[in-house]
Amino acid sequence: MEHIYDMIIIGGGPGGYTAALYAARAGLDAVVLERLAAGGQMALSHQIDNYPGTEQGVDGFSLAVKMQKQAEAFGAKTELAEVSRADLVANPKVLESSEGTFYAKTVVLATGANPRQLGVAGEQELTGKGVHYCADCDGMFYRGKTVAVVGGGNTAAQDAALLSRIAKQVILIHRRDTLRATKIYHEPLMRAENVSFCWNSVVEQLVQEEGRLTGVVLRDVHTGQSQTVACDGVFVSVGRIPASQLAQGQLELDEGGYIVADETTQTSLPGVYAVGDVRTKALRQVVTAVADGAAAVHTAEGYLVQGGR
Amino acid sequence: MAILDLNREQFDALTGADQPVLVEFWAPWCTYCRRLGPAYERLAQQRGEELAVARLNIDEQPQIAEHEQIEVVPTLVLYQGGKALGSLVAPESKAMIDTFLQETLPE
Ligand SMILES: Cc1cc2nc3c(=O)[nH]c(=O)nc-3n(C[C@H](O)[C@H](O)[C@H](O)COP(=O)(O)OP(=O)(O)OC[C@H]3O[C@@H](n4cnc5c(N)ncnc54)[C@H](O)[C@@H]3O)c2cc1C
Repeated sequence: MEHIYDMIIIGGGPGGYTAALYAARAGLDAVVLERLAAGGQMALSHQIDNYPGTEQGVDGFSLAVKMQKQAEAFGAKTELAEVSRADLVANPKVLESSEGTFYAKTVVLATGANPRQLGVAGEQELTGKGVHYCADCDGMFYRGKTVAVVGGGNTAAQDAALLSRIAKQVILIHRRDTLRATKIYHEPLMRAENVSFCWNSVVEQLVQEEGRLTGVVLRDVHTGQSQTVACDGVFVSVGRIPASQLAQGQLELDEGGYIVADETTQTSLPGVYAVGDVRTKALRQVVTAVADGAAAVHTAEGYLVQGGR
Repeated sequence: MAILDLNREQFDALTGADQPVLVEFWAPWCTYCRRLGPAYERLAQQRGEELAVARLNIDEQPQIAEHEQIEVVPTLVLYQGGKALGSLVAPESKAMIDTFLQETLPE
């Protein structure tokens, strides 16, 4: 007989491990299926300054390891497994993964989000060869070089600020004529001497030589005119897309692909909950992801008490 | 098997050997490399019999990194008998490393 977990949590980011902590403390038999490491997107950030109780700020990776250890101290388990298919309607629910098939009475989807791509030709082949999605991760390769940052939100502004301390020249490319970024993020940029701006511009084409990026072709959204800008690397920071593929065709999604669920985290299927960045919500942050994790277990307990109906 | 941290001599010896060796090129400042840690350790436990699992700090061994044309960390390269059999840049899951090894390891 296969083992049936009370709760399987897909994704080991802050939302997932908080669900695991609450589940374990509620005496539920719970496992986190995580494809790589605890922390998800949070683990890519060296400095998180808006998570309460950490007055010096906290490194996202270290916080993730603590969240995992805390959940495991109360009996939650982790499998380094990538879930490829989920039958969320079945009873028990069936999850197929790289480490075999898992069964559960309830499933928490905590799969987070991934960077949105530019959607231009050659992007895939050039990823890692001039095209990047994480300045924190890959910025160091551009010491003394010229880089472009595409986007106008807080992450783009933070990336540009970080890169301005490493690279010789940073070009910020944005399709509007002002930044959407919060003031504390864009003021340092305006002051930095090696940051220039290409407003009202979108990337139309990637220029490459021998399999490496050498520049980008920009189109002015008002005049339609194109210009080529030479650069050694481009950091894409144009938003995130929810990792909701497993739910497609089974759960209600909104037009952006987010799993529809309110703050109870209840999805359109009984026994299935969506927490963190993958859920429809106003603010996607660590502090809201962890809140969801707690709420999911509370909602699931009600379902389990009624015999899973 | 534990993960070996390679210096120049060990790199030459291990990559030249008959037993395949998987080398992670990494750097202390590389955020993504840390995320690979748990999966890499698990891999060393699970596959320690078939292959050696090692890491090389590109800040300490810049010449090797340059010679091996490492442009991004983490990059995993599988070597055997002095040759690179294949490489994998910044895998997003443990499953991707397993698949890479299955496809690249000689029969
Ligand atoms: C660069 C950056 C900086 C940020 N800075 C801040 C900040 O300063 N403050 C703040 O509050 N927020 C910040 N955020 C946002 C914050 O990181 C996210 O809101 C938060 O991590 C969301 O948590 P989550 O648990 O929903 O998902 P995630 O953190 O995205 O975790 C999802 C996890 O699910 C796993 N997964 C996905 N699919 C599968 C599958 N099929 N099988 C197995 N596992 C799977 C992934 O590997 C990942 O570990 C930042 C985000 C980024 C990208």
